[in-house]
Amino acid sequence: MSPAAAPPVPSRSAPVEGYRPLAQATLVLAGAAGLVALGALLPRLARRARPAPAPAARLRRGAAVLSASVLADSATEHYRGSYHHRAMFAAPAMAGATLASLGPGTGGPGVRRATQRSAIATGLAGNLFHLRNAMRRPGAPSWETLFYAAPLGAPGALAMAGIGGLVASGLEQAPPGGETARRLGRRLALGTSAGLAATSAEAALLHFRGAFHAPAMWLPVTLPPVAALALAGAAWRPGERGIGRARGLLRATAAMGLLGMAFHARGVARNMGGWRNWSQNLQVAPPMPAPPAFAGVALGGLAALDLMEAP
Amino acid sequence: MSRPLGTLDPSAETAPRAAGGRAPDVFSREGWVPMRCFRDEDEVDFAVIGTGAGGGVLAARLAEAGFSVVALDAGPFWRPLADFASDEREQDKLYWSEERLSTGGDPLQFGSNNSGRAVGGSTVHFQMVTLRFRPEWFRARSDLGYARDWPVDPDAMWRYYAEVEAELGIAGPVRYPWGPRRGRYPYRPHEVNAAGHVLARGAEAVGIDWSPTPLATVSAPRGKAPPCVYRGFCKIGCSTNAKQSVLNTFIPRALAAGAEVRDLAMVGRIETDRTGRATGLHYHRGGRWRFQRARAVAVAGYSIETPRLLLNSAGPAHPDGIANAEGLVGRHLMPHVNDAVWGVMDEEIRWYKGPPSMAVSEHWNYTDDHPSKDFPGGYAFMSQGPMPADFATSLVSNTGMFGQALRNRMALYNNMAGLKSVGEVLPDPDNRVELAEERDALGLPLARVTFSYGEEDRALSRHARAFQREVLEAAGARDLFETTGTAHLMGGCAMGATPSEGVVDGDGRAWSCPNLWVCDGSAMPTGGGVNPALTIMANAARIADTIIAERAPDRRG
Amino acid sequence: MTRYPGYDVLAKRDTPSWDEATRRVVDARLAGPAARPVLEERDYRTLAALCDAVVPQPDRAEPIPVAPVVEAAIAEDRTTGTRFEGLPTMREAWGRGLAALEAEARLRHGTAFADLTPETREALLHAVDAEEVEAPEWDGLAPRRLFRDVMADEILRVYFAHPAAWSEIGFGGPASPRGYVRLGAGRRDAWEAPFAPPPDGGER
Ligand SMILES: Cc1cc2nc3c(=O)[nH]c(=O)nc-3n(C[C@H](O)[C@H](O)[C@H](O)COP(=O)(O)OP(=O)(O)OC[C@H]3O[C@@H](n4cnc5c(N)ncnc54)[C@H](O)[C@@H]3O)c2cc1C
Ligand code: SF4
Repeated sequence: MSPAAAPPVPSRSAPVEGYRPLAQATLVLAGAAGLVALGALLPRLARRARPAPAPAARLRRGAAVLSASVLADSATEHYRGSYHHRAMFAAPAMAGATLASLGPGTGGPGVRRATQRSAIATGLAGNLFHLRNAMRRPGAPSWETLFYAAPLGAPGALAMAGIGGLVASGLEQAPPGGETARRLGRRLALGTSAGLAATSAEAALLHFRGAFHAPAMWLPVTLPPVAALALAGAAWRPGERGIGRARGLLRATAAMGLLGMAFHARGVARNMGGWRNWSQNLQVAPPMPAPPAFAGVALGGLAALDLMEAP
Repeated sequence: MSRPLGTLDPSAETAPRAAGGRAPDVFSREGWVPMRCFRDEDEVDFAVIGTGAGGGVLAARLAEAGFSVVALDAGPFWRPLADFASDEREQDKLYWSEERLSTGGDPLQFGSNNSGRAVGGSTVHFQMVTLRFRPEWFRARSDLGYARDWPVDPDAMWRYYAEVEAELGIAGPVRYPWGPRRGRYPYRPHEVNAAGHVLARGAEAVGIDWSPTPLATVSAPRGKAPPCVYRGFCKIGCSTNAKQSVLNTFIPRALAAGAEVRDLAMVGRIETDRTGRATGLHYHRGGRWRFQRARAVAVAGYSIETPRLLLNSAGPAHPDGIANAEGLVGRHLMPHVNDAVWGVMDEEIRWYKGPPSMAVSEHWNYTDDHPSKDFPGGYAFMSQGPMPADFATSLVSNTGMFGQALRNRMALYNNMAGLKSVGEVLPDPDNRVELAEERDALGLPLARVTFSYGEEDRALSRHARAFQREVLEAAGARDLFETTGTAHLMGGCAMGATPSEGVVDGDGRAWSCPNLWVCDGSAMPTGGGVNPALTIMANAARIADTIIAERAPDRRG
Repeated sequence: MTRYPGYDVLAKRDTPSWDEATRRVVDARLAGPAARPVLEERDYRTLAALCDAVVPQPDRAEPIPVAPVVEAAIAEDRTTGTRFEGLPTMREAWGRGLAALEAEARLRHGTAFADLTPETREALLHAVDAEEVEAPEWDGLAPRRLFRDVMADEILRVYFAHPAAWSEIGFGGPASPRGYVRLGAGRRDAWEAPFAPPPDGGER
């Protein structure tokens, strides 16, 4: 760069990789909102409602938990990434919109559907963006890029939330019965089981990065795959025993998601400076909003089982 | 002359902390752990002198095997959480700042460039780079045709590397690009910082391998140690305990196993009897000289203090100093070539973030027959992240730059990147530690250290600078300039297969004193092209196991 | 002249970037060294002029105090671990070195070192660094070693121990318990200095 090209005023407020306080503050708030939403949703899950909610409601709730988790997680992770690319705003924004679209009485059905469809598109595009980001790092592809570049699969969770929302709306508008419901249930079960496996794979990668330093870190890489297998098995060959087993495992997975949040909170405390050093540790310690994603996906699985049991 | 004391708690440097049945709890701000104590009259199985990379590992292993052990260190017993400030000048208290006389064609720099003085030794301020020797280096003469062989089994060393890495919780890459396969590092690698990515991009541009550096600082919690926060003050002591130094790993283990660790205990002389056996040692603590009896003595005081102590320990059977029958004590001292190339990047690198050397290339350690390779041995090179005063003083020392020019250069601190080599220097008997006439405050003769590079060393240093320049340029740096220097002292009391080849045998036992061991960097016959601490520790673990296997420490005598 | 105007490391004093130990150390430093005058008035003037030549601070309304801290270090006889052949121990090296500088200035320019213009002073120091000295006071003093590795070394250590110098170069300063999150090039944490304009090539 020639001396003449240097700007006359020494401080550039917005360089290429600018740190944009206002935008970022907004997104920190968004992250917090996601956490609050999770906080509000999760106790409702923990309580066992009787009579059991309709499959559509369950699915919707699962999608809501998932999008709240994505909202909080992507807001903090993209904040950590300095929002250096404008597209990074899309993730928390879409997650927020999706969360809203899943709430009662927001927008007309058309708007909701459009939102959820865009969530799917955003999620899939996010996967590609993350792949591109990872491949640009020195040494790529390598374990180190998997550990520290943008996580390849994570945006998929937003797509999952969108799909969940769409299916739930479909179910509500025209509740299927009999064979149609059972077939839909089986398909949903297979999809959810793949989603569980993917979520678990991401936890496996990140917990491997953390060297599985605590025994509890093995849980999310063992329990969800077993639940996913049971769910897929039940879809493959529906039967009362299989469905019961899958249901038990999915409930356990959901509970694990909640517990995980607590474990991760302890992780923040264990880092240097603990909670007093929150401005660093909330960004680098185990992400608190991530584990509830398991609960969201598991709810989808439970909804699928309900459908499969349709009379 | 007087060494600088810290302002935080000077009493830690004048009044021993580990006493009265307790020692500082290094994971607390002011807590204690119980410590077994011995009396001076007790004839302990082992008195270990120095608690650094070599002595700390040895003391822990011997104590765990049931030996009674007293480990003495001249330095203080720090609690990093309370005693370490984020401040270069305060932390001068970590280094061995008592004067050593430096002479020769290329006189060495000691102090902060060189060695520490604390329980935990130089590992308290080391930069945590933990690389293994290339296995062939243990048979450098036989397999590669230069320098000399180690009288040890390379496979055994390879096993001990894995053991110490596990004991330190090393965070390293999943696949290491060079050398024979190794097991998985206990912790995953850290995220490479911008300074490291400069090396990475340059290496990829010139077509050689690079890797995240295996580092002795944890990337996830380990026991009471939190993960590294990337504050970058590692060279002046880690105030979080993320760094896995001897102070917060092997020392707590030694204490728990019943060893006594005496801080601020400077050993002045080892006593020997008429038959030549060591009977104990004279040490200065709490303002007076004392004598600790011991059935066996292990010296691990670093490559200057170990020879200095042996030379100062003449006795009836050791007229020229203990274990010096062949006149080898103090000889074959080796530093590493530490030449560096620096440049300015367009983007802000901010190399103060993260441990200083997060990326490494060992390309020239594993490349033997490239046409440009006009030197034996090899070198690694690493990305850099010096602190401000450290960088400024290396500028003036190397280039003579001062005044406005220096301030202008320092203004670019955040845009700087650098690559620094760790290159092998061949053992030369004339590079040595001797005793000077002049004495220190305790009446001990000062060490006089003579060092000059040989032709091969100069060839390596030229190659390293030229190649690092190429890499740094390829990474996009401009305004390049070079600095020269040395780091890490090794040798001085080398292991040798026969008494004429070394001061101690392959098990670290002195050829001419049956109950005296040398167990630190000074026992290294060659220096290799990597930072030495891991090798010193692996060797200490191996020596400990040979002692344990024999059970009786003094069987040979 | 700083590339980081408005950035002040001290603003972080009461954040998690600073721990208690660091606050105590830096507070004590800012309070200044306990007065321990060991140098004759003439030597002190030479020392002050030398500090000013090694780190000139014409841009600072309140220059970082360097000479008093160096004098305190001389009083303490603060050793660095190395005594190069051809140099006496620290305090003696300083005492004789300052006298030799003064003698050299008088010999060449007929005036005190402290009274030389900044340009002449700088030229004289370059001559010392090149070992082109004439005054007999240099006998047994290894001019380059003395200048680079004793005098300038200590002066720079003192200068870069001051928070104002940290701020000047955009260094993050103390960082414990809070370290850093964003390690990539051109990225920064909220508690770091804002980015500076790209370097213009400096003294290329
Ligand atoms: C700034 C710096 C950075 C470094 N970084 C790295 C790195 O990244 N990787 C790496 O592998 N190596 C590194 N090293 C080198 C490494 O720390 C040393 O090579 C290693 O610690 C030497 O081990 P040692 O056992 O020989 O001696 P030390 O670890 O120095 O231990 C010697 C101990 O003995 C004590 N002692 C000495 N004499 C006496 C006596 N007479 N009485 C009582 N006690 C005594 C001393 O106080 C000291 O504590 C670094 C060194 C420095 C200075
Ligand atoms: S960067 Fe990590 S290892 Fe270094 S001082 Fe900081 S916490 Fe310790």
